[in-house]
Amino acid sequence: MALLEVKNIYKSFGGVKAIQNFSIEANAGEIHGIIGPNGAGKTTIFNTISGVYTADQGTVVLDGKDITKLEQYKITRLGMGRTFQNIRLFKGLTVEENVMCAFDPQSRYSIVGGLLPTPKRRAEEKRGRELCEKYLTVVGMQDYLHERPENLSYGMQRRIEIARALMCEPKILLLDEPAAGLNPTEVAELTELIQRISKEIGFGILLIEHRLELVMSISDKIHVQNFGETIAVGTPDEVQHNPEVIEAYLGKEE
Amino acid sequence: MNALVSNVLTQVSITLIAVSGIYVLTGLTGMFSLGQAAFMAIGSYVSGLLVIRAHVPFVLAALLAVAGATLIGYVIGYPVVRLRRDYISLVTLGFGEAIAALLNRMTTLTGGASGLTGIPRLVGLPLAFISAVLAIALAAFFKTSKYGRQCIALKGDELAAKAMGINVTRVKMIAFLLSVALTSYSGVLYAFYMSYVDPTGFGWKKSADWVIMVFFGGVNSLTGSTLGAFILSALPQVLRGLQNYRYVIYAVLVLLILNFKPSGLLGEWELTPRNIQQAFAKLGKKNTAKKEG
Repeated sequence: MALLEVKNIYKSFGGVKAIQNFSIEANAGEIHGIIGPNGAGKTTIFNTISGVYTADQGTVVLDGKDITKLEQYKITRLGMGRTFQNIRLFKGLTVEENVMCAFDPQSRYSIVGGLLPTPKRRAEEKRGRELCEKYLTVVGMQDYLHERPENLSYGMQRRIEIARALMCEPKILLLDEPAAGLNPTEVAELTELIQRISKEIGFGILLIEHRLELVMSISDKIHVQNFGETIAVGTPDEVQHNPEVIEAYLGKEE
Repeated sequence: MNALVSNVLTQVSITLIAVSGIYVLTGLTGMFSLGQAAFMAIGSYVSGLLVIRAHVPFVLAALLAVAGATLIGYVIGYPVVRLRRDYISLVTLGFGEAIAALLNRMTTLTGGASGLTGIPRLVGLPLAFISAVLAIALAAFFKTSKYGRQCIALKGDELAAKAMGINVTRVKMIAFLLSVALTSYSGVLYAFYMSYVDPTGFGWKKSADWVIMVFFGGVNSLTGSTLGAFILSALPQVLRGLQNYRYVIYAVLVLLILNFKPSGLLGEWELTPRNIQQAFAKLGKKNTAKKEG
C-alpha cells in the first residue's frame, strides 16, 4: 500500500468540474509533478487532499488512514505539509516565530504553561527553537531568525515557507508552484533544495509547477491535468512525447 | 497619597485589567467583542450578591464569580469562535445588551435600575494595582507562549494556520475564555471598590471604549494597549476641571492618532529587553551622527 493513495476524487463548484476522477499514489522518497495550464484544477487537487475542501466522491488515504473527510488541521497532524502558491507566511511574526507556529500544535505544555514560565514550557520552547534552527538551516535561512519575512526577498520567503512545512513533520509534502516569481539562479537553488530534502528527510513530494525545466528534471512521475481531467501520466520523457499533452500546451496542428 | 489621585489610579488599574483581556481577544486573535462589558457585569453582580445575600467570604466569591463568568463565556464562545469576524461583533453585542436588560429586569435579585447597593468596600489601590500588574504579566506570558503565537498566526491567515495543524476554534476559545476571566475579575474589583453597581455602566459603550483604548495604543502591542488604556482612562479624570470639553479633547486625540498613526501609538513595539537595547543603540547612532554632521 502506498503512503498516499488518492482514489478517483471528484470536486465541483456549482457547474464547474474542478477535479474529475483524479488518482495518484505516492511513496516516501518519490517526487510527483502535477502540471497543466491555468485553471486545470491543480491547486484544487492540493486543497482537496489537504482538507481545505472535502471531495465530492473518492477517497484520500494517508499512511493507511482514511483522511477524506477529516478537518484540515487533523490531516496536517497526521503528516501532510504544504506550501502555498501565493506565499502565506504569518504577518506580525518573525521568521523563527513563523516556523514555530507549525511546532506549536505539537508542543506539549498546558494552559498553565501558557500563562506562566513553567519548566515544562521552557523545555518545550527550547525543543521547538532547536527544531526551528534545524529546519531553517536545511533551507539556508538560519541567519534570519529575528527578521520579519515581509522584509526579505521572495526567494527567501519561499524557503521559509518550506521550513515551516518541514516543521509539520510531513510524510507527504505538497509544494504549490514553489518556483513562481523566482529568478533563474533562485530556481536552480530551489531545485537542488527540493531534491536534497526529498532524499535526506525522505518523504513523498507532490509538486505543482509551471516551470517545466524544474518539474521535468526532478520528478519521478508526472500527471498532466487539463480542464479538471488527467490527460496523461508517466515519466517526464513519456509525457513530453504524448500528443495529447502537446496539444493541451501548444494547441492542435491544423 | 491624595484621595483624588488614589481614586483615579484605582479606577485606571481596574480598567487596565479589563483592557488586558481585550488585548488578548482583539489584539491577538482579531475578534471584536462588543459585549465584553457584560462579563464585567457578571463578575460584579455575582461576587456582590454572593457576599451580600449568601455571606460568602470575599476571596471565594471572587473565585466563584470569575469561574461563573468563564462558564457563561464558554457557552457564548461556542458559537462565537466558529463565526466570521463581523458576526462575532453582532452576537456579542446582542449578548451584552441582553445581560444589561436582564440585570435591569430582575429587580428582586439585582435591585434593577436602582442598582445593587451595600457591597462592602474591600478593594483599595494596593489590591487593584497589584492585580493590574499581574493581569498584564499574564497577558504578556500568554502572548509569547505557543498560544499567543497561534493566535497571531490565525489572526493573519486562518487557512494557512489550519494547514500548519493549528486547531483554530480551540485556540480562539482559549483566548476568548482568558479574556472573559480577566474582564470578570476586573468587575469583581470594581464592585468591591465602588460598593455600588448599576446596569447602565456595562453596556456596549463600555466595550467599545476598551476597544478604542487598545487601538489608540496599538492593537498589535500589549505595551501599547496598556499605555492607551492608561492615557484614555486617566484623561477624563485628570481633565475634570474642563467639564464637557474633556470629551471633545478625548475624541480629537483619538481621531488624530487613528488618522495619522493607524497602527496606534506604539504600533507593534513591545517593552522587551531586546527592543530597549535596540532603541538605545538607535539613539546613540543618531547622536553620533549629529555630532559628526
